[in-house]
Amino acid sequence: MRSGPRSLARRALVVGTLFLTGALGGCGVLPPMPEPVPSDIVPSTPVGLSPAAGGDALSPDGFDAVERMAVRIRNVGCEELSTGSGFAIDEHTLITNKHVVADSKDLEVSTYDGHDITVGATSTAGLADLAVVRTTDPLPSHPELAGSDPKPGDPVTVVGYPAGGELTVTEGEVMGTTRDPLNANLGEVLLTDAPVEPGSSGSAALDDKGRVIGVVYAKTADDNSLLVPLSTLQDMLADDTAFTPAKGC
Amino acid sequence: MTEAPVVAAPGPARAPGPRRGSRWLAVLLVATIAVGAYLWVTTVRWQRSSAEWEGKAHEYAEEVASLRMQLDGANTELQAARDQLSTATARITDLANEKAQLGDENVASQQYLDYQTQVSAAAATVASALGQCVSGQEQLVGYLKDADQYEAADLGRYERQVGALCEDAEQANQALQRELRP
Repeated sequence: MRSGPRSLARRALVVGTLFLTGALGGCGVLPPMPEPVPSDIVPSTPVGLSPAAGGDALSPDGFDAVERMAVRIRNVGCEELSTGSGFAIDEHTLITNKHVVADSKDLEVSTYDGHDITVGATSTAGLADLAVVRTTDPLPSHPELAGSDPKPGDPVTVVGYPAGGELTVTEGEVMGTTRDPLNANLGEVLLTDAPVEPGSSGSAALDDKGRVIGVVYAKTADDNSLLVPLSTLQDMLADDTAFTPAKGC
Repeated sequence: MTEAPVVAAPGPARAPGPRRGSRWLAVLLVATIAVGAYLWVTTVRWQRSSAEWEGKAHEYAEEVASLRMQLDGANTELQAARDQLSTATARITDLANEKAQLGDENVASQQYLDYQTQVSAAAATVASALGQCVSGQEQLVGYLKDADQYEAADLGRYERQVGALCEDAEQANQALQRELRP
């Protein structure tokens, strides 16, 4: 028997259709059944979210850490009254200048929020304008010490009580080192352009990370500020004989 | 060598053409119906899934709109709270400063009071010593008017005593002057 052209065409069509059907199904061109709709598509942990801006600046009472560690020191002398600044280096220890606590009958320390801190022993350094004041009451906050002395051009922030007034934060940058014009410190001291006033003595000088890089102790005639460098402070603190009990008036 | 030619043996007779074509058409029809049924079921399922997803999308859209409103409200409240906190911290700083200034004034007033007390005490001492000096000198003048009636040694001793009183008065006066610092 012979097959005609129509039969051949029909066969080709069937084969083609079957081939196409198999290919469509096998290659996934035919749409699959939909997945069941999940009842909840909300992820349990949002991805890629970060805390709101400014969240790292929060503190227990809205004050910055640099403000919380600063203290105001009232030196009640036998005849005179003077004020200065200081800062905590641990829960019961303050750093300030020797001349801030000199000739004192009584030291009165208050914090950024006006709380009075009971003071214990006071000791002063012989070779630097530094003093250590131990407190009976705990101090609210204390900063870290930087790893090394700052370099010229580094930013500096000074936190203290200029002229015995409000707690003030001023900024500037390190200008370099110089010989101590007052001869109150052994070695070189830091010169910065951060503005200070009488009463700022004993203020902490901080770097851009809030770490202590020095202690303000004087201002120059051209309104620059002088700091006892961090290295001197660390040397003094490491030397058990560097500080001796302060003499009152 | 030549091989004998191979002659194909005649095979079985083939089915007639139209029957085979019908079978193929039947297969094609079944396949088409199967594919069509599959597509119909798939379409219905996808429609249902799409409707569910759309419903869920509307539900989440409403939730997003609600959360946006809540977020706006929360942000407004947060800003207000931040403003209040800023005001409160500024006020705390002011109050701490006022307290410190009052403390300074109190200490300064106490020191001035102590100074005034010391000055008053020194002035009283001067006044008393001067009084004793003057009194002694008056007494000495009286004795000297009737010097004949007294032993010279007694008069000399009394004069030295009066001199000591006046010296004390002088020292008290110098102490007072030191207290009266500028």
